[in-house]
Formats: sequence, structure tokens, C-alpha cells
Amino acid sequence: MRPPIKPIAPRKSQYGIDPALVTMRGSDLPGMTSVLLTDLFPDLPPVIYPGPEGVAAVRRATEQALAGVDMSMIQPGDSVNILASHHGFTLLGGEAYAEMLRTIRDVVRERTGTEDIRLRAGVGLRFRETEEYIKRFGLDEYFQGKAMGIAPVDRGIPIETEIGTLYGIARAYDAKWIIHAHNSDVREVHFHRQVDRAVKPFGMSYARIETRSTYHQNLGPRAANFVARAIFESPFVQSKFAFTCFLVMAPNGVVRVDADNNLYAVNDRITRDGCRYYGKVMTLLGEIKDCIAILDFPAPVPYNFAGGVIYANFCGVNVDLFDLDNPLPPYTWYTEAYYGKDGRPLIEGVPPVNPAIKMCIHNYAWTGYPSAFFAEHIPTVVVGEAQAQLMRDDPQNIYYMDHAMTAPSLKAAVHFALRATGTENILVFDGAPGGMNVSPPLAELLKAKAPAVSERVERELLPRWLRQRGLEVAVPSPV
Amino acid sequence: MRLVNLLAELIEEKCTGCGICVKVCPTLSMEMVPNPNPEGPKRIVAIHAETCVGCWTCEQRCPFEALRMVRRPEPYTVRVPVEEVDRQEVDALCRKARLNPEQVVCFCTGTRAEEVAAAILKGYRTPEEISRHTGVRTGCKVECTQPILRLLEAAEIPLVPTLKDGWQLYGRTITAWEVPEAVKAKYASRGFYFDDDIALLNRIVSAAGSRKGG
Repeated sequence: MRPPIKPIAPRKSQYGIDPALVTMRGSDLPGMTSVLLTDLFPDLPPVIYPGPEGVAAVRRATEQALAGVDMSMIQPGDSVNILASHHGFTLLGGEAYAEMLRTIRDVVRERTGTEDIRLRAGVGLRFRETEEYIKRFGLDEYFQGKAMGIAPVDRGIPIETEIGTLYGIARAYDAKWIIHAHNSDVREVHFHRQVDRAVKPFGMSYARIETRSTYHQNLGPRAANFVARAIFESPFVQSKFAFTCFLVMAPNGVVRVDADNNLYAVNDRITRDGCRYYGKVMTLLGEIKDCIAILDFPAPVPYNFAGGVIYANFCGVNVDLFDLDNPLPPYTWYTEAYYGKDGRPLIEGVPPVNPAIKMCIHNYAWTGYPSAFFAEHIPTVVVGEAQAQLMRDDPQNIYYMDHAMTAPSLKAAVHFALRATGTENILVFDGAPGGMNVSPPLAELLKAKAPAVSERVERELLPRWLRQRGLEVAVPSPV
Repeated sequence: MRLVNLLAELIEEKCTGCGICVKVCPTLSMEMVPNPNPEGPKRIVAIHAETCVGCWTCEQRCPFEALRMVRRPEPYTVRVPVEEVDRQEVDALCRKARLNPEQVVCFCTGTRAEEVAAAILKGYRTPEEISRHTGVRTGCKVECTQPILRLLEAAEIPLVPTLKDGWQLYGRTITAWEVPEAVKAKYASRGFYFDDDIALLNRIVSAAGSRKGG
């Protein structure tokens, strides 16, 4: 039996409890084991990070990827904004993404001669999150005082698009050129459905509140993805866009770095990879019929990772999230909006939150994302009064604890959950790199189911997913 | 509906009078006033405790970390009672804005379209007044902005920024029903499913709802 994988450590943040209060991790529970993703799916691509070279491999891959990019439009003295997003810093501890950003700066400076290179790092709903990462990874010093977090309530700028005026964050676009520096982690597939994944930050991280609300309230669960493309296609953004650089992820780690002057070329490549590799892990997780989920990661409730997949996705894997013929995932804000006052959906056909999750233990997770929906639909136990109070004080989670109970310790919570649910399957969302920390019965189940899942994705599901996104099925992955 | 349990508090010695908190406050509860302290900046922020709902926006955006959140000794709840407004008018306004009265528009507070509509029908004419009285736009401050603007527009109330040079809200944006046919055709093969989503949204708008609970 494999020992547990060392999880991502708690991180000091204004959005989470003091890491000193996290006295036990899910992986520390007696009898826990782990499964490696490459044991489940041997065809997963080899990773460059984590690895023996550390982030040096990311630097080298970034330099190689950028070697094929045209930077001739950037002249000495030109201002350049490298646009980044908070998500990248949550991947494998964040150092790989930080190193890609540092390398982009170094290469642009060397090849163009310009010194005015800024980092503008967007956020989701935790407006100081990237400020914390900028400090943690020393990026302000690296960018010579020109790194800053930008938030959706900051001063805006109107952007004229094919669907009318949308609004960006002024600071994102206050340079002559922009470089879109992102990652391909599938992450919120319940929202973006792997449609224009590479383009999404133009409608989100770099966008004002009006634009983000357009995405989540005005267009519908699939059409919403056009918001980002509309902004990216605008003459304003096109006049500034220089190139893009992506940290390409698979569920087991960083696979490569991709850079291109054509964002849509990157988009097509990562769409294929994302559907194939994340599609397999999510389809496998959908085979679990009962389990206890333990949240144990430095991020808000929905963004806790297991096997490269976030908890919000696990809440929806009872439905094929990649199949665009399914209009509503079990969790998305469109879905959440459609539950009436009696707690039932307003229309037929709204799928339930994954009924396999018999209980959720909130051992360590952050505030800063409206999460009451999860506690309303899944029995939830929060470990420790300090964490419960943190949720009550969060304006996005004022009512979370109305639906959750507290336990004095992780052990007590797990003891209760095992007895109350009757399941022996435990899945820990702790970001364990390259695998999942699980209880032995769940490890056996996953190993038994994985080969058939892989076959089904390759032969049946992947061709359908790609066709729905206008992509040729036969093009091989560049990995 | 929203529980108001916190209040913004100024750390005077850190305030430089930059005014960013005033520009971002969703309830217009911050105001620049002359600083009585001659040693400090000429102007300093004053917090109107009676309208501050404790949303953290000022604390999150102050470049000088001059604001902090403190617990209110006596928390209270803001809510516009839908039952005090004509039900048919509430329904009509929501459906004109292409929202189901029961659909949740604010995921942080669980506030439904009908309460925002009731607030408008009771006479609140700006997003800031609506936020003060219903609590919407005071959680994440992001996701519920368009339904508020759609409901105000449906009530034929123009969006006129209360605060000159404020960054509170710039304007309503497109809805699914307004996407030009040429755009739909141009991008038809890329998985956006424009018309299928319109059909889904239409089902929601016209759904009867449960009308149970509050």
C-alpha cells in the first residue's frame, strides 16, 4: 500500500485561518493511502514539474517556447503589461507559475530592449489574493516595483465589442502592449465547459464586475463563454495583444510551456489536452458512488484540488461536464440561481449535486467565494470554531454556517462521518501532487475502474467533446 | 436579505486621503471630509456607520491598509419585504427583465430577483440604495450587478452615477436575447450554443416557481 503523498501546505493568508491551527491533515488520518495518476492512466504525459530540476525546468521550457514567438512589435521604451491570474499561483504551490512570469520578463527585456515591463495580476473574488502572491514570490522586487494586483472593482475602461460595450480593468490595459500569461489547468470546467479556456481571463481576471456578471447572469451557461472572445476580438485588445504564454498542465503536473502570437492556436491545443486528460480523471471520479470528501487546501471551498480536479467539479461529476449537450452542470451559478424558495429546481432537468458525496469535512479551506450552496446541498462539518467564525465574518459566506455543523477536530469529524454515512471511501482534496490521498477501499475502486474509463474516453467521449468544440478528432497532442 | 454583522473602521494614521474607498463603496457609505488633524492629510475619509453593511470592499482596496472590519455589537438584518408590494407588479417587473421572480440573483446572500424588484417598486432608484436595503452587491460585489441593472432598466429608471468619478457601476451589458444573429452565425461551430441557452433561459423566466417560504 502506497503511503500518502505530502499535500500542499496551509498558507498564511487573510482568507484562511492561521496555518498553526491546522493541526492534522486528511493524509495524516490512520490507514490512509494514495494512488498515483500515472498508475491509473499510464498514458498521461510526462511532467517537467514537479521534478528533479525544480523550477529550472519551467524556465528552460519557457525560454524554448518563447524562442518561436515574434516580439518585433515591442520597441525599446515601449510599455508592456504581463497579464497574470491568481489561479496560476494555486498550482503545485505556485512557484512554477511565478517562474514562468519571471522568465517572460527576462526574455522580453533581452529581446526587445524595453525596461518598462509590468506585472498586472488579476483576481477572482478575493481582491488582495494576488497581492499576497506577489509578496510571497518576490515578484515586486523582480519586476522592479512594477508588480500589482488588480481587482474587478478597480477603475474600468469601456471596450467596444461585437456584442456591445463590455468593461475591462483600466490597469490591465494601461500599457502599449499586453502579454497574456496564463495556465491550462481545466479548473472551473463547470463554468467554462472547456470552451475558449485559453481566452477566458479576458472576460474574467482582466475584466470589471459588469463583464463578469454578464458571463454569470446574462448569456446562459454555454453562451457565456463568448464574453471573453468578444473582448479579445475587440479592436482595442487586438491593438495591444503581443503574444501569449501558457503553463500547460495535466492533472499530474506541468507538462510544457506553450507560447504563440496566435491565442487561438494555443486554445485549440489546450482544449484537446484538457478534454483528454482531465476528462479521464473526472469521468473516473464519476464512478465513485459514495464517499466522504475532505477539504484540506489553501483555497476557497470549490477550489480545493484532488487529482488535479477541483471540488466544485467533483460536485458535478455525476453529469458529463464536458458534454455540451448537457446545458446545466449540477453546480454552476446558473444552476444555483434556479433553485426556488422550496429548495427545489424551478424547472425539470436541473441535475442534483453529486449524490455520491455523502458528507464534506471542511478541515482547511478559505473564505472569499460564495459557498453556502455547497453546504446547503451536502452535509458539511467544519473543523474548529476559528474556521467557522471566519466563514461567518466573510460577506460571501454569511449563511454558510447556517447549513454546516462544527467538530472540534478532524478526527472527531471523520469518526462522525464514517458512522453517519456508512461509507469507507474517503477522498482528500489537499492538492497532493501527482495523485490522490484516499482510503484503501477507494484506492482499490479507482484502480479497478480506471482502464475501462480510459478506453471509454478515448473511443466514445473524447471524439464527441472535440466535435462539439469544432475541433478535428485526429490531430495528435504535441506532448 | 442580508445579515449586517460588521462595520468598516478607519485607522486614521494610515489614511492618506486618496479617496479610493469612496470610489468603490457599493453603498456610498464613505465620504471625504476635512481632516481636523493639522498634522495629517487635508482630507480624510468619514464612514457612515448607518449605511455601511460591512462588505469589506474598502478594506480590500485601500492601498494603505487604512481600513479594517470590526464586529457590530448589535447585528441586524436588511430586507425588503416582498409581501409589502403588489405581487403582480413584482412578477411583471421580473419577467420584463427576463428573470424569474424566484431565481437567486445574489449568491452570497441568497437574495432573489423578487426582493430586488420589490425594492425598486418601493422607490429605491439606484444600485446603491438597493444594496443598502437588500444586501445585494455587498458580498462578492461582482456577480449580481447585471440583474440589478436589468431590473432598474425594466422599471425605466436610468442608471445615473450618484458619485461623479466613482467606479461603482458603469452600465448594463448585453443579454442572451440581444446577441446579433450575425455573431451567432459567425461563431456557430465553437460550442457557444447561443440559441439553446436562450431556450433554457426562457424556460426559467416562464417557470411558475414554488412561492413557498420567504
